[in-house]
Amino acid sequence: MSMDLEHADSPPYSSFFGVMGVTFAMIFSALGASYGTAKAGTGISCISVVRPDLIMKSIIPVVMAGIIAIYGLVVAALISNDIKPKDYTLFKSFTHLGAGLSVGLCGLAAGVAIGMVGDAGVRGTSQQPRLFVGMILVLIFAEVLGLYGLIVALILSTKSG
Amino acid sequence: MPSVLTPVYIVIAISVAAFVITSFYFNFTNQGYRYNIGWLLQDTSPFMWSNLGIGLGISLSVVGAAWGIFTTGSSILGGGVKAPRIRTKNLVSIIFCEAVAIYGIIMAIVISNGETAYHPGVWKEGEVYALNSQNRHAGFSMFGAGLTVGFSNLFCGVCVGIVGSGAALADAQNSSLFVKILIVEIFGSAIGLFGVIISILQVTHAKMGDKP
Repeated sequence: MSMDLEHADSPPYSSFFGVMGVTFAMIFSALGASYGTAKAGTGISCISVVRPDLIMKSIIPVVMAGIIAIYGLVVAALISNDIKPKDYTLFKSFTHLGAGLSVGLCGLAAGVAIGMVGDAGVRGTSQQPRLFVGMILVLIFAEVLGLYGLIVALILSTKSG
Repeated sequence: MPSVLTPVYIVIAISVAAFVITSFYFNFTNQGYRYNIGWLLQDTSPFMWSNLGIGLGISLSVVGAAWGIFTTGSSILGGGVKAPRIRTKNLVSIIFCEAVAIYGIIMAIVISNGETAYHPGVWKEGEVYALNSQNRHAGFSMFGAGLTVGFSNLFCGVCVGIVGSGAALADAQNSSLFVKILIVEIFGSAIGLFGVIISILQVTHAKMGDKP
């Protein structure tokens, strides 16, 4: 069954790599977003006791960590719409694996960075209000890392051939 | 760094050593062909993959829910010593963690509904490739779906647990803080929901059986 030349470029096992791409995209971005939410959430819980008026402004790191999960969701949904049961070439399947890995691991790194920066940022802002803008700037740089992963994933998933 | 002689490190070290020694044995006794990823992907049954997916989906979701519940629960009970009024309101955090386990069981049932027996003996010659591809794709999809929902719920449960613990302790100091920190928890539980969405997307195209 795996020896015929007609289907040599789309063997029956080729969907494994595409499916793993979808899975990695969601799992690793979820890990990054969870780490970011939990770490920044701990900081928010700490400062909320002394500065309850700053809670709403301090939810920004949590929102940015949630956006990382959305990057993973978008790429996973895009890839999984392209996976077909048959005539799914190894070319497309490995491209999808690469796309999923890039958004997933970049999202993981970005989420961890957002979490640590958010935690330190909200704790610092509660003591020195002028640090708020600085925290936002650093968070934007961390968020952009996840965006790079999304860009590469989109470039890969729209390749045809 | 903790002491390397703790039981966890010893177990990990022995497993890694066993794996490495077995691999080197195969290499040096001319049995390198035994590393056969092709066999793993082509000749294992799709039912192995689908059932592994279902099992990991439900069990990892429950591990996440349990982790969240013990993290939040211990904080509620500890903070409740001096502020017993926090007991009932903070059960909401526990329910957020439990929801993660509910997602897992729903997805396990949905995924297992896609499993049907197939009989290669009755396949016609022309559609052998199509049916083989389809059944194998279904097996891999269910594996991926189970892994997605399992790990997403695991991470979501831990996250909601940690934030819920912070919410309980803040609530113990000032009761108006709980609702605001609940917003962070809602962001956390959205992550589990994303995992469920992708998992459903993965199983919608998974079809097992004898019809192409």
